[in-house]
Amino acid sequence: MTSRQPVPAAVAVDLPAESQTVVLAQRGETAALDELARSCRQQAYVFALQLIGNPDDALDVAQDAMLRFFRSLGRFDSTRPVRPWLLRIVRNLIRDRARRNRIRRTESLEPADDDALRFEPRDDSPDPEALAERHQLQRLVWECLQELPPQYRETLVLRDYQDLAYAEIASTLSIPRGTVMSRLHRARRLLHDLVRDKQRSTGEVRDA
Amino acid sequence: MPDQCPRAFDETMLSGHLDGELTQSAEQKVTIHLEDCAHCRGLLADLQTIREATMSTEFSRPDDDQWDERPRSSTSFLARGTGWVLALVWLAAVGGYGLWQFWQSSANLFERLLVFGGLSALALLFTSVALDRITASRTDRYREVER
Repeated sequence: MTSRQPVPAAVAVDLPAESQTVVLAQRGETAALDELARSCRQQAYVFALQLIGNPDDALDVAQDAMLRFFRSLGRFDSTRPVRPWLLRIVRNLIRDRARRNRIRRTESLEPADDDALRFEPRDDSPDPEALAERHQLQRLVWECLQELPPQYRETLVLRDYQDLAYAEIASTLSIPRGTVMSRLHRARRLLHDLVRDKQRSTGEVRDA
Repeated sequence: MPDQCPRAFDETMLSGHLDGELTQSAEQKVTIHLEDCAHCRGLLADLQTIREATMSTEFSRPDDDQWDERPRSSTSFLARGTGWVLALVWLAAVGGYGLWQFWQSSANLFERLLVFGGLSALALLFTSVALDRITASRTDRYREVER
């Protein structure tokens, strides 16, 4: 179902070029619309996957997000960056789904999908032991992330997986910048404690 | 290691420090505190390790053919709608004319009722299926998407 092509967690965006594409898309230029669709759908999917943890659900949410994105494209202020707006659409859709289903992700029957991660050496001659250790930690952090309450998980994902600045996170979540920092730190502490507890339970680290 | 910093220090600033989001004076405060606080140094190192793990994680993505195309333009939507309306009008006109011609023909009453009864049954079935389809399409989330 899903291919195993790597996609970077964060996508660098050249704002003036993006703004130009948005203006052309708002005028109905097919090439600009297609370009926006191609660039945004992967971002929407990866973010949904990071929040939900399940590739099939993430694809479903990303498809819905793209529909909503194109429906409201005409009203979008082209001088603003697209990414926080797109991520807000995805996040709102996920919240709507959770509300509709009356379940939270942590209570979902679907476990976090390890298949969602992509493990490939970034450097040409990696130390196999160090690489295996890094992948093990990535997998563990990914598992623990799914156990965080939604408001902490989304803040952490926006910062550490999506690489958004605090101001962009504040805009995406519609919260003050100070709240971003405190929520982010709380999320990191919770994640840290979960990772440490799991490492202790598997004997990877000893109690202090 | 204790769970909280033993000194009067706002631990939240460690995250701001990690992300390079603090003001210069706040940054200075954190640097001075870290020199004296083993707890916060240890915590910062742990948070940094976890952050590196998250930032270097890569995710699989769907194949291109798994994506629906972007919603089609309003022009093609209008053309398709007009086409359907014209086709239905044509069907009603031709069908009505054919039935009228048959009713005027020399067939006896029994033959006429037989043909009209069958056609009426088929028309009712078609209408009920069409109504179901219309209702379903109105609630279909993907109705504006070409596959």
